[in-house]
Amino acid sequence: MSARRPATEDRIALLLAKHGAELARHIRRIARDDHATEDLLQDTLLRTHGALGLLRQGSNVRAWLYRIATNAALNHVRGRARELAALRRYSREADGATSAADRMATDGDVRAALWARVATLPERQRVALTLRVADELDYAEIARRMGGTEAAARANVHQATNRLKRELR
Amino acid sequence: MTTSSRRVRPSGARAEDRAVERIVRRTFGTLTGRSGEPLLYAVMDDTPVGVLGLALGAAGLRRLTFVKDEDDFLARLLAELPDTPVLRSAKLDTVRRALDRYFAGRGFTFRTPVDLSEVTPFQRRVLHATAQVPAGKVSTYTAVATKAGRPHAARAAGNALHRNPVAIIVPCHRVLRGDGSLGGYGGGLKVKEWLLRLEGAIR
Repeated sequence: MSARRPATEDRIALLLAKHGAELARHIRRIARDDHATEDLLQDTLLRTHGALGLLRQGSNVRAWLYRIATNAALNHVRGRARELAALRRYSREADGATSAADRMATDGDVRAALWARVATLPERQRVALTLRVADELDYAEIARRMGGTEAAARANVHQATNRLKRELR
Repeated sequence: MTTSSRRVRPSGARAEDRAVERIVRRTFGTLTGRSGEPLLYAVMDDTPVGVLGLALGAAGLRRLTFVKDEDDFLARLLAELPDTPVLRSAKLDTVRRALDRYFAGRGFTFRTPVDLSEVTPFQRRVLHATAQVPAGKVSTYTAVATKAGRPHAARAAGNALHRNPVAIIVPCHRVLRGDGSLGGYGGGLKVKEWLLRLEGAIR
């Protein structure tokens, strides 16, 4: 039975011990839901573990984890935004008029729509923007997590916000 | 360790910490089968005595160890405690600050309780006897063996000190050979000598 505790579990345990808490925090700030966060954290670890063999020696595993976690969380939010939009369409058709509840939902919908836009940004812009806005990190820390320079991190966030402003105008 | 993220809502931050710990704990159970009480850890990268690994359980501090680096410390923790979820935590900051003060020569003031449940009863008695030796003083392997109830077990006492899970705080560096020579030390004899000099036990 002791052979059933394979190296795989140990490697996942190591990733989870080292990065689990910060990743869970990161995902939870985007997904805003504990159950979803748990699922997304598991996906992230399993996917990263699967890719570990492909990563070159000395490449930044932490940045890789963050990238996968960010994508997973944003996909989750995007899925939820789509559901919300469909629900709203459906309820309008059913009511034929705007209800008070519908108006109250608008604020949250704008945020969901924004995150849905964020999900369509190029990868590095999307990750940089999320770290900046959702995690409120400074550019030096964003550069550390993503790999690359502080200037590049700043440029990515800048390009992302410009593009969002253009698209939402 | 990352500390540069800015906290906006201090009260919400505590609820977030609790939720995050719960999520990581459950994920440990699902993915690795580790479902015991979680152990929190931290690594101090640049102390005057090298890299230190710290681990805190529900009953107190369980590790203060000289390690090569974070991965080395984690690999050891995960191997030694096969049923325990292990996660990095800022809850060890109190101990880290006490160690920083100690290394800066501002006194030996550790208040965090120590959990010695992993060693044998004799080893525990040796470690308790060692904890009685004040900073600035030294003792011998024979003296702590005697205090632990086995006057002829100096070698076994040396062994117990070698297994000390919480170095520095249980000050095994203050125990020397009967002839005054340094004996051994897990962190290396240079470190033992540095600590004794810091405490003013030797010049």
